[in-house]
Amino acid sequence: MSSRVCRTCGGSDIDVDQARGSAVCTNCGAVLEDNIIVSEVQFVEGSGGVSSAVGQFVSADGPVKAPLLGSGFHTGVGKESRAQTLQNGKRQIQQLGSQLQLNQHCLDTAFNFFKLVVSKHLTRGRRTEHVIAACLYLVCRTEGTPHMLLDLSDLLQVNVYILGRTFLLLARELCINAPAIDPCLYIPRFAHMLEFGGKNHEVSMTALRLLQRMKRDWMHTGRRPSGLCGAALLVAARMHKFRRSVKDVISVVKVCQTTLRKRLTEFEDTPTSQLTVDEFMKVDLEQECDPPSFTAGQHKVKMQQLEQELAKKLDEVEGEISCYTEEIETELEKSRPKLRGIYAAYTKEIDPEDEAVLSSTSDLEEKEGDDADLQAATQHLTQDFLSQVIQEEGPGKRTPDGVYNQEAAPEKEEVDERPQAIPLSSILGKLPSPASLGLQETFQTFHKSEPPENPDEEPAQTGELDLEGIDDQEIEKYILNDKEVEVKTELWIKQNADYLKEQKEKEERIKKEKEQGTYKEKKRRQRKREQIEAATAGEAIERMLEKKRISTKINYDVLRDLNQSSGSLSTPPSEPTEGAATRKRLSRRRRKTRDVNAELSANATMMTKKFRRLISSSPRKRKDAPQEEPAAAMETDSEAVPEAPPEDAPDAGPAPADAPPLLDTEEEEEAEEECVSALQLVGDYGCEEEEVF
Amino acid sequence: MDSNNDEALDIIVTNVVATFRTRCHLNLRKIALEGTNVIYKPEVGKVLMKLRKPTITASIWSSGKIICTGATSEDEAKLGARRLARCLQKLGFKVRFSAFKVVNVLAVCSMPFAVHLVNFTNNNRPIASYEPELHPAATYRIKHLKATVQVFSTGSLTVTGPNVQNVATAVEHIYPLLYECQKPRK
Repeated sequence: MSSRVCRTCGGSDIDVDQARGSAVCTNCGAVLEDNIIVSEVQFVEGSGGVSSAVGQFVSADGPVKAPLLGSGFHTGVGKESRAQTLQNGKRQIQQLGSQLQLNQHCLDTAFNFFKLVVSKHLTRGRRTEHVIAACLYLVCRTEGTPHMLLDLSDLLQVNVYILGRTFLLLARELCINAPAIDPCLYIPRFAHMLEFGGKNHEVSMTALRLLQRMKRDWMHTGRRPSGLCGAALLVAARMHKFRRSVKDVISVVKVCQTTLRKRLTEFEDTPTSQLTVDEFMKVDLEQECDPPSFTAGQHKVKMQQLEQELAKKLDEVEGEISCYTEEIETELEKSRPKLRGIYAAYTKEIDPEDEAVLSSTSDLEEKEGDDADLQAATQHLTQDFLSQVIQEEGPGKRTPDGVYNQEAAPEKEEVDERPQAIPLSSILGKLPSPASLGLQETFQTFHKSEPPENPDEEPAQTGELDLEGIDDQEIEKYILNDKEVEVKTELWIKQNADYLKEQKEKEERIKKEKEQGTYKEKKRRQRKREQIEAATAGEAIERMLEKKRISTKINYDVLRDLNQSSGSLSTPPSEPTEGAATRKRLSRRRRKTRDVNAELSANATMMTKKFRRLISSSPRKRKDAPQEEPAAAMETDSEAVPEAPPEDAPDAGPAPADAPPLLDTEEEEEAEEECVSALQLVGDYGCEEEEVF
Repeated sequence: MDSNNDEALDIIVTNVVATFRTRCHLNLRKIALEGTNVIYKPEVGKVLMKLRKPTITASIWSSGKIICTGATSEDEAKLGARRLARCLQKLGFKVRFSAFKVVNVLAVCSMPFAVHLVNFTNNNRPIASYEPELHPAATYRIKHLKATVQVFSTGSLTVTGPNVQNVATAVEHIYPLLYECQKPRK
């Protein structure tokens, strides 16, 4: 106890008497403290002269186990919300863990994780069962038990990816590094389920060796461990002459047939598969393979390289013929004007031909280069078509003259560009060509004109839409004209008839309710809140306080003073708000808080009808409240005792405006029971963390 | 990008997501009935409108907020957004183009070597996480860049970040880490 300064005289010489529990100033004699709470250990003599300390061990987690009280209710009478959450969590962990056959140590560790999670507020917004499953899985991973996330999701009937997401988040937040899953862990479990009898161990060992081989061959990265296990077990079973079909294995391992087959084929590709059974058991090949997906990728790359080489070869061949093409083309130029006259018709004709050309050129590229001469010849023929097509699109891209007056190098460019031009032309051929050309041009001009502009600053400030680079005509295509709108409206209404009906019904319902004055906005699950009718604001506050649950954290004295200053008749409900019947029972329970309560007993005298209503109404209100446990306890308490008055009170209770006759009966009882203080009773109520305000 | 290796690493941006506001209330039913390429979802309360060029899909809400997805570059996203606003303007709404922001950029990249994911995850805990039961790739989250890189065992990466610059920086950041854990080639 720090020496304090006396309030009356300012002296600092204060005498603290532990026995009496009082602090007195030696100067003036003013009593500074009465009933000091002492933290000393008391001893009691038990039977046989054994002295033992008074008190109970309370765990650091809070009152996890309610002290056995008179009636022996374990159901969390007067516990804090946190303790309830933990208790609930523990129960669920035990339940789920026993289904998974986890030992007690694992379950305790899981509960510790859960406590960490709750203290970090990670349970908010997540279903408790997800969080618990994640904690259990975390334990499984750290301990290395052969439980899969799939098992947990099976038990809970929840999507495994949702559980996985929760698990990953918790692992990250708790900074727990779960070691990577080793497929070898699952082998004994699956082997057991496949029932190999006496040879179980041997088959498992073989499967393990196979798995290790797979690991070295880089088959296991990025794959579900259960799939690999399934493949290994299947092969091992066959090696030991057990007949296990693919279906048996997949039912145990929980992958699909395709996956299993795929793993088997991949294993087939490795050199190990070529060994015989005996050889495999003795010899370990040193060579390591690349992973299968990597080899597939490599395969693609090789194919691309081959195609490029082919293209190069073709180019070289074409280079030789280039001089001939020059002459031919110069002659064609002379005859061109006639072609231009029938431009439109020609473009349409070319479309199917373009496609044929595309397909033929792609075929050409795929051939192995044996028919290089043939290819050169066909290429030469097709070049004529291509050159004409390119020239006709020329206006947008380049002049025809420029191409042919240059030498081989630009011609190679032309040739190189042709493979690009071909796909463009085939695509363009399918769309209406003049329009497509126009679009292409505008698009290219947009692209070029975009960077130099700085439209960002001005529109951002004014919010005006910068119309640069937007083709209005094209956008108008996005908007239907009137007739189309009508047709579409009809169609849409037909399609969505059900939805429109629902909307109408909803609106009508809302209208009706508005007329009746019981219109509820959206939330249909409201508790039945009665209208608070009060004359003054102070009264209204009091009644609201009555209805809502009382909190131990509010200084009701101050509240009362506030209300009294505003001139309301009745004092607001303070801590001593308990009812007649309940107080009796509660007084038995709360002997601990007696010291504190002594102070407040004085306040207990200030009882008003509001208190009674609170008493009567609160048990009923408690029924509705989510915190059922304290309510249930209260309810059962109140109902168990066959006292008529308290029973009347809850029965008639609800509306604060009602029951003046009740007051009379209650008044009598109140007078009898003032000796018990409020806080005792409040202590039982004090399970809420919600504030009234 | 090329600073730490000889060959060039191609980072291909595949998707850019951007949002903007029109600062005016939009009547979704009118848009649905008078526009081409629109899908109206009254239960959710939005309209999906698809532009052909640039290929963009936009979700339009009646409050005037619009999300544009499917563009292949930030400029394209802006162009598409402006086109969309113009289209809405023509439909008769008093549209003002404001608060344009690129929200997410998705890019793919391929390493010339394969990666051993288990080693990579072990070296980089807890920034990297790998759950083969759930997803075949290891996820590496770079906090200061707000970017996420998913690494596959073949060496391909997918990177998501708030803009293209961050994405490029993320690839540069992660390259040396991957290089250490590469699989030995044949």
